[in-house]
Amino acid sequence: MSEIKLKVEYDEYEDGKRIETELEKLAASPEGAALESLIIGDWGQAYENSSEDIVKALVEHKDRFPALRKLFIGDMSFEECEISWIVQSDLSPLLGAFPELQSLKIQGGNELVLSSLKHDKLEELIIISGGLGKDVLSSIASAKLPNLCKLELYLGVDDYGFDGGLEDVLPLIEPDKFPKLTYLGLKNSEIQDEIALAVANAPILDRLETLDLSLGTLTDEGAEVLLASERIKGLKGIDLHYHYMSEEMVKRWQQSGLPADVSDRQQSDDDEDWRYPSITE
Amino acid sequence: MPPALIIPLAGLLGEQPLDLREQAEPWLKTQRSENAPLLRLESPGGSFEIERAIIALGAPDGIACEEDDSLHPYSGRPDPQPMSAVAALRLKESPGRLYHPAQWYRGYCRLLARLRRQGAELHDAEWQNDPEDIAVMTDKRRTQELLAAAGIAIPRPVVDDEPITGYESLRNAMLKARMHRVFVKLASGSAASGVLAYQLHPVTGAEIAMTTIGMERYNARPPIFYNSGKLKRYTDSVDIAAIMNWLYRHGAYAEQWIAKRGHDGRAFDIRQLVVGCKPCHAIARVSQTPITNLHLRSERMSLGEAGLAEEAIRRVGSTAAAAAAVFPRSAVAGIDVLVAEGSDRCYVADVNPFGDLLYGALHEGLDPYEWEMRELFRHQDKLAQRMNET
Repeated sequence: MSEIKLKVEYDEYEDGKRIETELEKLAASPEGAALESLIIGDWGQAYENSSEDIVKALVEHKDRFPALRKLFIGDMSFEECEISWIVQSDLSPLLGAFPELQSLKIQGGNELVLSSLKHDKLEELIIISGGLGKDVLSSIASAKLPNLCKLELYLGVDDYGFDGGLEDVLPLIEPDKFPKLTYLGLKNSEIQDEIALAVANAPILDRLETLDLSLGTLTDEGAEVLLASERIKGLKGIDLHYHYMSEEMVKRWQQSGLPADVSDRQQSDDDEDWRYPSITE
Repeated sequence: MPPALIIPLAGLLGEQPLDLREQAEPWLKTQRSENAPLLRLESPGGSFEIERAIIALGAPDGIACEEDDSLHPYSGRPDPQPMSAVAALRLKESPGRLYHPAQWYRGYCRLLARLRRQGAELHDAEWQNDPEDIAVMTDKRRTQELLAAAGIAIPRPVVDDEPITGYESLRNAMLKARMHRVFVKLASGSAASGVLAYQLHPVTGAEIAMTTIGMERYNARPPIFYNSGKLKRYTDSVDIAAIMNWLYRHGAYAEQWIAKRGHDGRAFDIRQLVVGCKPCHAIARVSQTPITNLHLRSERMSLGEAGLAEEAIRRVGSTAAAAAAVFPRSAVAGIDVLVAEGSDRCYVADVNPFGDLLYGALHEGLDPYEWEMRELFRHQDKLAQRMNET
């Protein structure tokens, strides 16, 4: 798959380089016409400038990217910008502009809006954040994505924007919401146990191939219910890596014969009983 | 093994310090080689007793002949709340505690000045690393200044028309320069001690400081600062200001936080050893956090394993060699090199006089010490040969 990443470094931005210009150049080139995957990295002072301008530019040049199937907005490391400081915007115009799009990946939940999530062909929606707001969760719950196979959401913590609760997550696991869903990730969460409890015996599991509850604060409490579930036995993959389970619980998973990843065990601090998901920034 | 004498610090400090000659003479007498033996100073980070003795040496009420501040680049600036020699010697060990960085550095420079004087009288031995160079390398402000003057690429220092003296002036300078992400470092801190990765949001004023520095506050006395070994994340202005002001009182240096090249989603920096102007052993320190030379959550690997191509590895080596050449009287230096993400440009972040403590690293089958001995004496042999030929 042909893939290009566009970004503007600190020095380049100070020298006047702008990502919209880089996109225009790409749009006018033969690479753009053949491009299948586009990654938008640091668009220059991403903690100050929102993704609005790059969204506008992409929409404006939509006809120059006929082969585009994968889009990632916000690919930047902690060296470039804190995830919670990335200023996003309303990304739904991208769906309208690219009817052939198969995968949309977003990093940064701050000021993220998905006002109208409607797309006939989208197969993957992935959102990485330190805290995903309940308005975004509500937008996803009322989305019309009949072809969605993979939904992967990094829910995060209250401090960084997860202002909802389990009740905002539950609508996402209604079995007929996304009829083609085979991969469900409700991860990187400070309520990972509650999610595990809610999902462990949910009918949606009958349809899924992979359940991803990794990177969060899963303890023996949630793990126990999952392990006891009949429904998870049909899964092809159970991703629980980065967790706070006990050594005994990890052994039980390893001996269960289930296709579970229980690596990267975390231990809470000695002095505080403090547990946190992997991405909280 | 070719001759090199490691000078331990313990005997040189305390009530009745040994003369360098006393320390070295018995050993020197046994040397038959035509090569001038090398004197290698032991690293000062060895023990609490040594650290305490150095702080005592930096006291304002020491012996007159021991107050040679000629090697201290900023000796005119008084240390904050100096400790008397007696008080310093009464310090109790508290693991991780940052007792008094400014006075430690003053004491260290005085020790180096004494060793330099005494070394000048030893005609049959040479310093592997000149004490004056060691004094400079131990202060990041002076080191970076010299590197910049020599045209070596360094992360941009934070500067302003007025000197930066603490939290407020640093923030003003950052906003003026539109440099919102910086590293603030204790000028004479070692390794990861006294480093703060600081971000300031220009619009909201929100700030994040990531550091291993911890602070304990008391009601009736000043706070104490320590290295917790764990990375802490401060977002409260009061805490951040307290730490930063303390760092600046003891001497601090702030520079642009360059986005470093990553490996596997983690950032890394490089420790490149340079011996006799030639780059040799190098390791990449890959970390999940911005502070790469922490042992916590960080991994060491070769530059190739970290994803650098041959050409980039060569550039890291030549950048480090150029930095080491700024100190021609020092044969061994461990240079910290950053490779910028995207541009792949190399920047020198630090020069370490004891930077050859790279456990397990091999270059052409030799560990750093073996390599040093081979290189340094080969150089001397060549010189001796040429002299014989004339």
